[in-house]
Amino acid sequence: MPVIKVNGLAIHMQELNPQGTLTVVLIHGMFSNLSVYYFNIAALLAQHFHVLMYDLRSHGLSEEVNSGYGLADMSDDFKGLLDYLHLPEVYVVGYSFGGLIALKSALRFPDRVKRLAIIDTPDPADQQTRDVINVYSREFLENYIANYTDTTRFSMGKRQLEKNHRKYEFLFHQTTMKADMLRDQHFMEAENLGAIRHALLIYGKQSNCLHAAKKLQERLGDSTLQLLDGDHNIPIQQPDAVGSALVKYFIEKR
Amino acid sequence: MDIITTQPVSSGNSDVFDTLKGFITEVIGEEFMEDLDITPQSSFTKDLEMDSIEIVAFSEKVKTHFGEQIDFTGWLSSMDLDELIALNLDDIISYIQHARH
Repeated sequence: MPVIKVNGLAIHMQELNPQGTLTVVLIHGMFSNLSVYYFNIAALLAQHFHVLMYDLRSHGLSEEVNSGYGLADMSDDFKGLLDYLHLPEVYVVGYSFGGLIALKSALRFPDRVKRLAIIDTPDPADQQTRDVINVYSREFLENYIANYTDTTRFSMGKRQLEKNHRKYEFLFHQTTMKADMLRDQHFMEAENLGAIRHALLIYGKQSNCLHAAKKLQERLGDSTLQLLDGDHNIPIQQPDAVGSALVKYFIEKR
Repeated sequence: MDIITTQPVSSGNSDVFDTLKGFITEVIGEEFMEDLDITPQSSFTKDLEMDSIEIVAFSEKVKTHFGEQIDFTGWLSSMDLDELIALNLDDIISYIQHARH
């Protein structure tokens, strides 16, 4: 299993087309894992680039840890990964919360991030995610699964339910995640996003994060907004369209 | 430490099936295997209730065991969600047998 030590943590990573000369790093969102890219989107990118995916701390197959969920720590993990693999400069894609890590990394390490693409990233000033943490319970998870399996398409049996419940209980009640997220809530206003020269923004037309795209367009130095049919789950709903848009952007901007 | 051992071409489908079954046990845990009746027709997502990151972990074991030359990762990662949901053990056995010949 490709697990490496980054900032003292065991981080699970996967690579496609390691012979590729240019590297694209894919950062997933909160409560998800690298598999959101692994099937389809990563394969499309791997036709042109070396593709690197990793599980964020405490997510997927990476080590569980009680702290360090702020954007500074998460972008330190990103840089640690590049350092470990001796990658001087990469293209970066961030989905949902992963988009915030990508933006923070581009601001902190501008010489390491050559191009940036953001997929349906929310404004951390929104209460939504923190509200979920507040109201979370097993019943909430069961209700969520009952209502959303039509978009994620994966049925969840007893073992998966227990596994997910244990993970959420850990993240919500035994870590600093909520406090860390709260500290970053003014990220889009506080940071000088104008320092980022250009970014591709991919959002779902029906996404509840669409207003964040408008804010990013105003705040970034320059950006291109591409709207796709779908909601916040567009990487699952439209993997071909998302993958093709990323390939086109990185090839044109090479 | 994983050790790459390329299987002889003559090894049959049942050997491959037993090997894959062993990988599934390692990924989801022995305690959950008692409730599962694994057959070549078992689908990963529905019958075995594996989620996508568990399929990635399983894939890593297949790649390590059967060698990089069969490009198992390339084959698996190019699947769309419908194909992944429909994926069963027999699909993987067939892929491995074809790729090795």
